[in-house]
Amino acid sequence: MTQMQEPLIRIEGLRKSFGEHEVLKGIDLSVMPGQVVTIIGSSGSGKSTLLRCLNLLETPDEGHVWFHGQDLAGEHVDVNGLRQCIGMVFQSFNLFNNMDVLDNCTLAPVMLKQASKEEAERTALEHLAAVGLSEFAHADVRRLSGGQKQRVAIARALCMSPEIMLFDEPTSALDPEIVGEVLEVMRSLAEGGMTMVVVTHEMDFARGVSDEVVFMDQGIIAEHGSPEQIFTNPQNPRTRAFLSRYLG
Amino acid sequence: MTTAYSSAQRCGRLVAFIRGDHRYVLLGTSAIAAFGMLLSSSPRPALSFLAPVYGVEVAMYYTLAAWIAIAVVALAFKIALRRAYAAKAPFTRPAVRRALRYGSYIVCIITAALVLDRWGTGLVSAWNAAVSATARPQDDMLQGILYIVYHDRQTFLTGLITTVQLAFFGTIAAFFLALLLVFARIQTVERQDNDFVRFCKRVGCGFAKGYSTVVRGTPMMIQALIIYPAVFSLFKNTGMSTTEVNAVWTAFWGGLVTIILNSTAYMMEVLRGGIEAVDAGQAEGARSLGLSQWQAMRRVVFPQGIKHAIPGLSNELVVNIKDSSVLSVIGTFDLMFANTTVTGIYYNQLQPSLISAALYLSLTLVASWLLGKFARHFDVEPATLGSTSDQQLVKGE
Repeated sequence: MTQMQEPLIRIEGLRKSFGEHEVLKGIDLSVMPGQVVTIIGSSGSGKSTLLRCLNLLETPDEGHVWFHGQDLAGEHVDVNGLRQCIGMVFQSFNLFNNMDVLDNCTLAPVMLKQASKEEAERTALEHLAAVGLSEFAHADVRRLSGGQKQRVAIARALCMSPEIMLFDEPTSALDPEIVGEVLEVMRSLAEGGMTMVVVTHEMDFARGVSDEVVFMDQGIIAEHGSPEQIFTNPQNPRTRAFLSRYLG
Repeated sequence: MTTAYSSAQRCGRLVAFIRGDHRYVLLGTSAIAAFGMLLSSSPRPALSFLAPVYGVEVAMYYTLAAWIAIAVVALAFKIALRRAYAAKAPFTRPAVRRALRYGSYIVCIITAALVLDRWGTGLVSAWNAAVSATARPQDDMLQGILYIVYHDRQTFLTGLITTVQLAFFGTIAAFFLALLLVFARIQTVERQDNDFVRFCKRVGCGFAKGYSTVVRGTPMMIQALIIYPAVFSLFKNTGMSTTEVNAVWTAFWGGLVTIILNSTAYMMEVLRGGIEAVDAGQAEGARSLGLSQWQAMRRVVFPQGIKHAIPGLSNELVVNIKDSSVLSVIGTFDLMFANTTVTGIYYNQLQPSLISAALYLSLTLVASWLLGKFARHFDVEPATLGSTSDQQLVKGE
C-alpha cells in the first residue's frame, strides 16, 4: 500500500473575475507530488487563468491555494519566495531579449543568491545539455527557433530547482513539425518524477504522459479522472463533444 | 546599418549620376543655364573677378543662351514627334547624347563660376564694407546684418554659450531626475506588500503623476517666473541681503533649475512610454522565476525600454535648445537675451533675429547630428528634428 501523501498543491473554491466576466467559478483540485496533471478544454474555459493563479500572476478573488502550508491567495504571503519553487513555462516563451541563452538561465539563481555565478553556469549548462542546446549557450535568444526558445525556457525554469512546473500551452505558438521536440523534453521531465501541471491542446501528450486529466468548461472542472477514463469513457456530454472535435 | 548609405556608396551614386547619359539633360540643365544668365545680368560686386575680363563673361553669357536655344529646338522636336521622338529626333543618337552630356558639364561650370563671382565675392565685399563702416548700413540688408554680426559678436557668443550650457546640463540633469521619477511612477501595489510599502508606492506614484500634470500643463515661461522669485524669497528668508542672494541665486541658475524641472516631466513620460512598450511577457517571465518587481525592472524591462526611449530622450535636447529662449524673461543671458539686447541697440528687430535664428538652427542641426550618431551606436533609429508634439510613437521590436 502507498502511504497517504499530502498534496503538493491544494486548490479550494477558487474564483476569479475579470470585470463582469467570471472566468473561474469555484475550482477544487489537488496535485500530488510527482503527479502530472493536464488541463484540457476549449479556449476561454479558464485553463490558463487557473494555471496563472497557481503562481499569482493572477490574483484569485476568492478561495485558497495551499502550497507548503501557506495560502497563496492570502494577504502578505512571500510571493517572490514561493515563486522560486514554482517553475513556469509560457506559450510565448518570454525569454529575456536583452541577454544570451546562458544569462537567461543564470539571472534568477544568481540574483536571488541561490548559487554563485560559477555554480549557476554549471547547472545551467547541464540543463541546456539535457534539452539538447549546449552549443547555443551564448546565442542571442532572438535568433533561436520557437522550439529552441521553448526548450531554453524550460531549462531556465529548471535552473531554479522548482518543486513543480507549470506549463501554459507550451506548444501552441510552435509550428507543428517542431512541437515534438518540446513535448519530448516535457515527457522526459515527467519520467524524471517532476510534478507538472500542463495546460495543453496536445491530446496525445495528455493521454500518454499524464496521471490525471482535467477537463475544464466555462470556468468549472466539468470532469476529471485518469487519461484512460477521460479519453475512452467520458461521462460528461460536453467532454464528449470537446474530445470528438479533437480526436475525430 | 542596412538603411543608411555609407558615404562611399553615396559618393559612388553621385559619380554614376554625373557620368550617365540622361534623357532629360536638356530640360534640367537649361534651367541651370537660365539661372546663370540671370546672375550674369545682375550687378557686379566690388571684388568680382570676372569684371577685368569682360570678354570672357560675354562669351559665357552667350554659351548659356545657345544652350537654351538648343533646348528649345529639342522641345520643338518633342512636340512635333511626340512618341516617335526617341526613334527619329537627332538628339537621341548616342554620339549626340554624349556631346550633350559634355555640353551640360560646361553649362554647370559656367554657372558655378557665376555663382562664385556674384555671390561668393559679393559676400566678401559686403563683409569688407560692413567691417569698415562707421555706422550700420541702412540701405543694404546683407551689409546691415554683417555689421551686426561683426560688432556684436561678443554679445551673441555669450548668449550662445549660455544657451548651450542650459540645454546640455539641463537635459543631462533632467534625465537622471526623470529616471528616479519614472521608477516612482510605474510602481504598482502588490499583494504581499506591507502597509508601509503600499503607502510609499501610492505616494510616489501619485507625486509623479501630479508633477507631470502640473509641469506639462503650464508654460515654461510661467514656471521660470515662479521658480526664480520663489527661490529668491527662500534665500531672503534666511536673512541674506538682496545683493548676497543675487550673488548665489543668479538668473543663470534660475534658468537652469527651471529647464531641469520642466524637462524632467517630459523625459519621464518618454521613459514611461519606452518601458510600457516592452512586452508584458518579459516582466512576467522574470516574476515567474521569483524576481521582485524592482529586480525584474532593473535587469529585464528597463534595459529594453530605454532603447525605445532613446529617440525621444535625445529629442529633448533639441527641444531644450529652442525652449530655453523663454528663460530670457527672468534675465538669463541666453541667445534670446542677446538678441533682445542687440535689437535695442539698433532699433531693428528683423536683422538680429535673423542672426539668432541662424545660430539656433546651427545648434539644433549639430545637436541632432551628434544625437543621431549616439542613437546608431545603440542600434536605434534616430528621431528627426522636431518638437515633443510631433514625437513619433514608440516602435515595437
